[in-house]
Amino acid sequence: MTATAAAAPRRPASVIDTVDELLGRRVSMRSLALLRVLIGPVTLLHLLPFVVDALNGRIYRDAFYEPYASWYPELPRTLYGAMLAVGVVAAVAMSLGFCTRVATGATFGVVAYNLFLSTTHVHSNRAYLLIVLAVLAIAPCGRELSVDAWIRARRGHPPLDPRAPAWPLWLLRFEAAVVYGASGMSKLVDPDWVGGTVTWHRIVQVRDRLDASPLPGWAVSLLADRSFHTVAAKLIVITELFIAIGLWWRATRYAAVWVAVCFHVAIEVSASVQVFSYLAIAALVIWAVPSARDRVVVIDPGNRGHRRLTPVLGALDWLARFRIAEGAPGAAVTLTDRDGTVSSGAPAVARVLSRLPLTAWFALPTLLLPAVRGARRSPDPDQAGHAGDSDRAAEPGLAASGPR
Amino acid sequence: MLVACPRDGRCPCHGLGVDSRARVIGRRLAVALVVIVQLALVARGYWSAHKEFAFQMFPESSTWQAEIVRVTTDGTRVPVSLPWAGYRWDDLVTGRGLGHPELRHHADAGLDNQLAFLDAALDYVADNTPRDDETRYLEAMVTTWHNTDGPEVTVLRSDDRPDAA
Repeated sequence: MTATAAAAPRRPASVIDTVDELLGRRVSMRSLALLRVLIGPVTLLHLLPFVVDALNGRIYRDAFYEPYASWYPELPRTLYGAMLAVGVVAAVAMSLGFCTRVATGATFGVVAYNLFLSTTHVHSNRAYLLIVLAVLAIAPCGRELSVDAWIRARRGHPPLDPRAPAWPLWLLRFEAAVVYGASGMSKLVDPDWVGGTVTWHRIVQVRDRLDASPLPGWAVSLLADRSFHTVAAKLIVITELFIAIGLWWRATRYAAVWVAVCFHVAIEVSASVQVFSYLAIAALVIWAVPSARDRVVVIDPGNRGHRRLTPVLGALDWLARFRIAEGAPGAAVTLTDRDGTVSSGAPAVARVLSRLPLTAWFALPTLLLPAVRGARRSPDPDQAGHAGDSDRAAEPGLAASGPR
Repeated sequence: MLVACPRDGRCPCHGLGVDSRARVIGRRLAVALVVIVQLALVARGYWSAHKEFAFQMFPESSTWQAEIVRVTTDGTRVPVSLPWAGYRWDDLVTGRGLGHPELRHHADAGLDNQLAFLDAALDYVADNTPRDDETRYLEAMVTTWHNTDGPEVTVLRSDDRPDAA
C-alpha cells in the first residue's frame, strides 16, 4: 500500500472553512506594531486643533455644533479638557508601546467620543483614523516595537508570541481598500468628475493662487487647460481604483504602494486634507506579508562595507523582514528571498532597500532594471530551506492561504 | 474547518492556533458585520447629505453663497452680518466654511452636505441666542452653483423661536 493510498481522503474545503482559516491563522503582527508607532503622531496631529482651542478657552460647543443624538453624553468643560489631555497622553503611550493595550484602547475611545460629538467633526480622514485605531485597539500589536516588550525582556520574561490571528489585519486591509475604492467609484459614476469638469473647475477657482505659486507659467497654463483635465481626471479615478485593487495581489502590490505614495504626496501638496496623507501613507505598511525574518541577507564579516550594512539594516528593517547571516570571506552580499530565489551584489542591495519602509519608494523602481531583474536565481536544491523555510515551518500553510 | 478545543486547554492542539468553535464563529460574525456595515455606509453616501464613512473625497467643485437674515417679530429682515444682542454670526458659527456665508465658498464635501450644515447652523443660532428677544426666525437665501452649472437659489429657514417677544 502506498502512502498516498493510506492517506485519508481530504474533504474539499468549503468557502466558510477557507474564510475561517484565513481569519484565524496566526500571522506576524509586526506591521500593526509598526502602524501603532506611526499612528501616535498622526493622532496627536488630529487632536491638536481641539487641544489648542481648549487651551484658549474654547471648546466645540462654544460655536455651532450638531450632535448625532440627543442622548449622546457631553462632558462638563473641565472634564472635556481633561479627556483631551488623556487622549494626548494615551496617543504618546500608544506610540511608545507603554501599557499598549490600555493606551490604544484609550486613544481610540477619546478620538471616537470626540468625533461623534458633532456632525461637524466628522471628515473622511478622521473616519479612517478611527478605523485604524479601532483595529489597533483589538489587535495584540504591543508585543514588538514597544516599551512593554522592553520591560518584559528587562525582567527576564520570555517575549510574547508576536503572532496572532490574522482577522484584524484582514479587516484593516479591507477598510484601507474601501477608502480608495469608494472614493474612486464615486468619481467614476459621476460624469462631471470622470469627464474632468470638477478638477478643471477647481483649478479655475484657485487660479489666482496658482499664479502666485512658484509653479512655472507653462505648468499653470497646463493645469488650467480644460482638455488636460479630461485625461487627468480619468487618471485620478484609475489611480484610486488601481490602488484599491492592486494592493490585494502580490504581482501589483509594490506598484500600488509606490503609486499610493505619489498619490498622497500630490494630494498633500495640492489640498488641505488634515491628517489624511500621513495616515494613508503610514497605513500602507499593513500590506507587507505578515511573516517575519523570512529573508536572509548574507554578508562577509571581513568586508567593511558589509559590516556597515548590518546596523543600517537593523535600524531600518522596521517590518522585521530580514535575518543577517555571515557568509564566506570575499563573497558578495547575497539575499535569499522568501521564495528561495537568490540575488547577490548590487541587485541584492537594491532588493533589500526595496523592502525597507523608509527606502522602498526610492528603491522599488530599480527592480525594473534588467540588471536587477535578471540577477535572481532559482533556489539551489542544496540550499533550499536555508532562507525562509525555517520560519515557514513555524507557520504551516502560510504560503498557501495566509494574508500575503 | 472548525475544530473544537476543550476549555481546559489540555488537548494536543492547545496553543497551536486552533480556536474554540465559539471563537471561530464569533470572529466570522464580527468580520462579516464590519464588512456589511462598511459597505452599507459606502452605499448610504450616495443619497445621504452627511456621508460618514462613505469616503467620497473631493466630490464636487460646487460653490455656494448665502444671504442670511434675522426676521424679527415685526417682519424686519436684518442681515446677520450686523451684530445683535451681543451676538455675532462669525462667533456663533465657525466651522465648515460657514463663518462668512456672504462670500462664495467651495462646498468641499458637496452641496447637499453644505446645505445640511447651513440648515443646522440656522437652528443652532436660533436656539442658542437667549438674549435676543426680537428675532422670530433666521432665513438664508442660498445661491448654489453645482460644478459649472448655473446658479440655483434655495431658501432655508430656522425653527421659530418661541422666546421672541
